[in-house]
Amino acid sequence: MSFGSPYVTLPDFTYHRPKSLDEVLALLKEHGDEAKLMGGGVGLIAFMKERLMSPTHVIDVKEVAELGQVRQVPGEGLRIGAAVSIAELLEGGDLKTEQAVLREALARVADPMIRRRATLVGNLCEAIPWVDSPPALMALDASVEVAGPEGRRSLLVSDFIRGPVDIDLGPNEMVTEVVVPESKGRRSAFEKFTGGSEFSLASVAVSVSNGGKKRAAKLVYGAVNSTPVRCPEAERLIEDGLSPTKVRRAAETASEKVECLDDVLATASYRKHLIKVITTQVLWRMM
Amino acid sequence: MTGEGSVGKPIPPEDTVRKVTGTALYTYDWDLPGTLHAKLVTSTVPHARVVSINLDRAKAVPGVVAVLTGKDMPFRVGMYAGDRDLLAVEKVRWAGHPVALVVAEGPEAAERASELVDVEYESLPAVFDPVRAMGADAPIIHERMEEYKHASVFYPVPGTNMANRFRLVHGDVEKGFEQSDEIIEDEFRISHVSHGYLETQNVVAQAFRDGTFEIWTSAQSPFIVRQIVSEALKVPYNRVTIRVPFVGGGFGGKAGLQWEALVALASKAVGYRPVKLVLSRKENFASSASREGVVANVKAGFTRDGKCVAYKVRFVLDAGAYADYTVNVSRAMGYSAEGVYEVPNVHCESLAVYTNKIPTTAMRGFGYAESNWVLEQVFERAAKKLGMDSAKIRRVNLLRPGESHTATGEKVREDVGDPRKVLQTVLEAIDWEGKAEPASQPWKVRARGFALCVKGPSQPPNASSSAIVKFNEDSTIDLVLGTGNFGQGTTTAISQIVADQFGVPVERVRVDPTRDTGKSAYTWQTVGSRGLFTDGVAAMRACDDAKDQILDLASQVMRLPKSELEVADDAVKAKGRPWLTIPLRDLVFGYVYPNGNTVGGPVIGRGHFTSSLNTFLDPQTGQGVPTIFHTFGGTAVDIELDLVTGAIEVLKAVQVFDVGKAINPLLLKMQLDGGFIMGMSIALFEKIKFDEQGWVTNPNFTSYYIARMKDVPKDFEARYVETPQFDGPMGARGIGEMSMISVASAISNAVFRTVGVKLNNLPMNPEEVWRAISEQKPELLAKAMESFGRIEAAVKARQ
Amino acid sequence: MREITVRVNGRLSRRTIKDNELLLDFLRDRLEVRSVKAACWRGECGLCTVKLDSHLVKSCLVLAVEADGKEVKTVEGISPEGELSPIQKAFVSHGAAQCGFCTPAWVLATHELLQEKPHPTQADLVEATSGLVCRCGTYNQIREAVAEVSGTTARPRHMKESLARA
Ligand SMILES: Cc1cc2nc3c(=O)[nH]c(=O)nc-3n(C[C@H](O)[C@H](O)[C@H](O)COP(=O)(O)OP(=O)(O)OC[C@H]3O[C@@H](n4cnc5c(N)ncnc54)[C@H](O)[C@@H]3O)c2cc1C
Ligand code: FES
Ligand code: FES
Repeated sequence: MSFGSPYVTLPDFTYHRPKSLDEVLALLKEHGDEAKLMGGGVGLIAFMKERLMSPTHVIDVKEVAELGQVRQVPGEGLRIGAAVSIAELLEGGDLKTEQAVLREALARVADPMIRRRATLVGNLCEAIPWVDSPPALMALDASVEVAGPEGRRSLLVSDFIRGPVDIDLGPNEMVTEVVVPESKGRRSAFEKFTGGSEFSLASVAVSVSNGGKKRAAKLVYGAVNSTPVRCPEAERLIEDGLSPTKVRRAAETASEKVECLDDVLATASYRKHLIKVITTQVLWRMM
Repeated sequence: MTGEGSVGKPIPPEDTVRKVTGTALYTYDWDLPGTLHAKLVTSTVPHARVVSINLDRAKAVPGVVAVLTGKDMPFRVGMYAGDRDLLAVEKVRWAGHPVALVVAEGPEAAERASELVDVEYESLPAVFDPVRAMGADAPIIHERMEEYKHASVFYPVPGTNMANRFRLVHGDVEKGFEQSDEIIEDEFRISHVSHGYLETQNVVAQAFRDGTFEIWTSAQSPFIVRQIVSEALKVPYNRVTIRVPFVGGGFGGKAGLQWEALVALASKAVGYRPVKLVLSRKENFASSASREGVVANVKAGFTRDGKCVAYKVRFVLDAGAYADYTVNVSRAMGYSAEGVYEVPNVHCESLAVYTNKIPTTAMRGFGYAESNWVLEQVFERAAKKLGMDSAKIRRVNLLRPGESHTATGEKVREDVGDPRKVLQTVLEAIDWEGKAEPASQPWKVRARGFALCVKGPSQPPNASSSAIVKFNEDSTIDLVLGTGNFGQGTTTAISQIVADQFGVPVERVRVDPTRDTGKSAYTWQTVGSRGLFTDGVAAMRACDDAKDQILDLASQVMRLPKSELEVADDAVKAKGRPWLTIPLRDLVFGYVYPNGNTVGGPVIGRGHFTSSLNTFLDPQTGQGVPTIFHTFGGTAVDIELDLVTGAIEVLKAVQVFDVGKAINPLLLKMQLDGGFIMGMSIALFEKIKFDEQGWVTNPNFTSYYIARMKDVPKDFEARYVETPQFDGPMGARGIGEMSMISVASAISNAVFRTVGVKLNNLPMNPEEVWRAISEQKPELLAKAMESFGRIEAAVKARQ
Repeated sequence: MREITVRVNGRLSRRTIKDNELLLDFLRDRLEVRSVKAACWRGECGLCTVKLDSHLVKSCLVLAVEADGKEVKTVEGISPEGELSPIQKAFVSHGAAQCGFCTPAWVLATHELLQEKPHPTQADLVEATSGLVCRCGTYNQIREAVAEVSGTTARPRHMKESLARA
């Protein structure tokens, strides 16, 4: 994955700073394969230095007014535009108790300077295994709004992320918003372990909802595999509320069931152990 | 001298003002008119013959001026082992080995073209493990080792991968084992470490048609750079000028040759235009040198009363593709094996072994930090086995100044320091006898531990220093030194010493912050914490020389014998008749009589220092005197170990050193705290990782993690002992490197003493510690996991 | 190629740049603002920190064109002509610079923190500087310098209390 860059300059490209969504889509239509969208640029610029990406057009979406909003849409949920930086999102105070998992995940992303630039959508679209927003968004059943020449489509974040640095997005498409659906009475939380690294060695996003008759729980693990992984077996254990025994069993089950990988940050066996630790931590906090 | 001097005062380094205002300029900031930019092209394979290099595509990039390859410089360079090429000649020896240098009109074109150099390789078998590399069937990485220009004190073994084999034999170790009641035996591993200096290696060089070269470089040792460059380019030393502006950290990694010769050649190749090379962080990790990895096997014998009677150790250093400086690290690791203890029977072998990995070089601690990591843990384990207090076992074995001999057979002088007092102070500062604080959580353990250390500068016996004290028209002093200043504050401390020699305020003495081989006083290198000692003594002698000139003149002017005069309080005074006085101002530029007649002239004092005590070490037994002083010290820590994650948090750091004389307590404190933080970072986090092809997989600061503000202890406590060294400047000894040596050992000792878990591998990162706990004390981990949930529940219930 | 106008430390500069140029290089190479350093070129060390309009950013991750029409502040811009700001003075007296390569970034970051929160807690300081590294390990001295300027009571022990002759 991203191992560092021998280069300090960027490949040649033409920079575009469209003001409207239509302009963005027109640019994407025109330049398609050769273009890359830029939110905060934190990931994009690093990727370009590494020559993992060498777009000839860079389309900066930060000044697109339609994308710069966070909207609470009744009956739908919270819509977060692609130009909203993580810092703005946190400062805006729109992430309430229901979305605590996302707030907690974002508050600990990198440092204040990076959060000032980086966007939630960029963090999601970067889709490197260690980033923190995808598991949080998956725990909230969030979806992405995609716009393209063929119109708009909406898909769940869990479907959107296909693999490491691999998202379900056509060359002429873009993500306009992330939508976090409403869910009254949902509670959620995030935990990660970073010991001796800037990135998560393992993270967990959890949500428990008791809206309506059906109670549901989600446990999503980040950084342990090439994409975030859910653990249905452990989720079932905590569906009907939490107790010390259930927490322990859920932690053990997740540790056993969730498949982990070795990488430059940690081995799979340590990650399995960390899953137990952070699951315990996060669930106790929610009891 | 009368009145209060500046020695002993916490005077901030003068150049800090430039640093806080952003006006301190580094090589990275250096530009000359018309500068071209260079970029390395590096090998993608670990060990291969270079079949061909096609430069056509690269040369076609607009702005490219030249592309150089090893063919343009088919020679070897180096300081100790002489094994390096500037660009790969015939074959590459690690993935990351520079094979070509592109020079272009700007960094962008250079980078663009560097992507287009096509190299064809023919793979050779490679070896990545240093112990395997010593095997009979291992591929040989340097086939023509016997042709290398090794310094005479190293012992390469041609036909193998051993770049140096150091041996130390003192007493009879097997007999010692026979006398032992307890044996401690184990294997320790130390990972490769990056110096992590924030200014990456970089050079600006210009060749001139008159046969001279001017080189700006971020280097610790301009005179050594000049020596190697001159020898490589076959030009007299005075035709090469090395200029060193501010340096953004070195820690040993900028002590030897870096890219100076290469860039100088490039400048010549492009028609004498200046060329600048700035390494990216990845290149600095993957194509330059770092601290070596080590595999150590140790066996130590102790009698029932705690006496260490036998110590046998083998260090195998993973020296990587080039061991130019590491051969000397292996030597130092070897002769420092028995640390602060007197051990009658020592057998040590220390081998620098080539592998197909990044080259290695000197780093702060210089082998001593590595040998300390092994030795101090052995002592802690012996204490536990013998049921003895950690402090007591040390007392039993500590070197006794005036009586003991070190393992190299050197008699420990009375004035070298007071290790007993150091130990006592360490114990007091960490409240050793007191009750341990409770841990903040039941699954955490609060632990205290300590370790002792000693180090001296590892330098050739003939290494020398010089200094010039130059008076100006207004009687201010330009103190001309060679020793570099990248944060240690040495030049400030020496300025204080010089000021006191004349009884003038320290502001009157100034050391230019930059170095220039044509203008600075010679010093061998700025390494080994030698600067204050060697260059300080040279400066004091320069003061004596200047004073002598001043008194000669004063004697003439005052018509008094020289023996009745003294320099004090910014003046020459007649002894016992202080009213008979002439201000220095009236003497240092010549004395002008009322009628205009002038005698004397500008006063320039000079002095040098070369140790007359050092010797070569015996090739068979390692006996001799390797260093010019020893600084004794110790570190203690109060830590909290999270049994559940394996994470260690240092709550309190204690550093105690016998500095001889604290010339400047502020600088001392900066070194003690900074050294602790670096030592802690290396102890807990830092590890260069390699894949199966020897590629560095974490050449960045996100996965090669360096301690940040959040990681440092809340509480720092530093104390110093002052046992004056009779031949040190005002009694002082060096401290820069020493301050990080015993940090890792103190932390691992805290863990072992408290929970009995052995930490044999550096770094002790959370995963490593967790693994050690789960393998050695699974019940401890199980219990911690048990309590991990429960308490949180209890806390919750209370809320 | 395009022309941009940036106000850097109060001075308006107009330059023609390439689209792929980084703010870091624009400041260093075009405007010769050499207090801005780089050690990683990818957002990890914080040495390239500058203030862009109202926030600190890492200039190695910002395109120069993005600064068009904006204001950039570096350490040169924090003190009145010829004087040191309080945090600069405190850095000097506490020895909060060793090699000094990281120092301009730390001075700027702590200066801005103190502007925003005149009495930062330790947690505030850790958070605000979490994107910065100092390899020489001046963290304890920086802590002391910030504590002195802010006059916080929960200040770390000053050298005088934590260094003693045995
Ligand atoms: C030192 C450091 C520490 C870090 N620590 C953390 C951490 O703790 N946790 C964490 O989660 N992350 C961390 N990161 C990663 C960082 O958070 C991400 O790089 C950042 O969030 C990406 O967001 P961005 O807006 O800058 O994306 P950009 O760089 O703008 O874009 C990233 C990718 O998404 C694409 N993209 C952007 N916008 C859109 C869009 N609207 N539609 C479709 N594609 C789009 C881009 O083309 C690009 O491929 C760290 C990074 C650094 C440098
Ligand atoms: S150079 Fe920008 S953060 Fe390191
Ligand atoms: S002072 Fe050297 S890196 Fe901070």
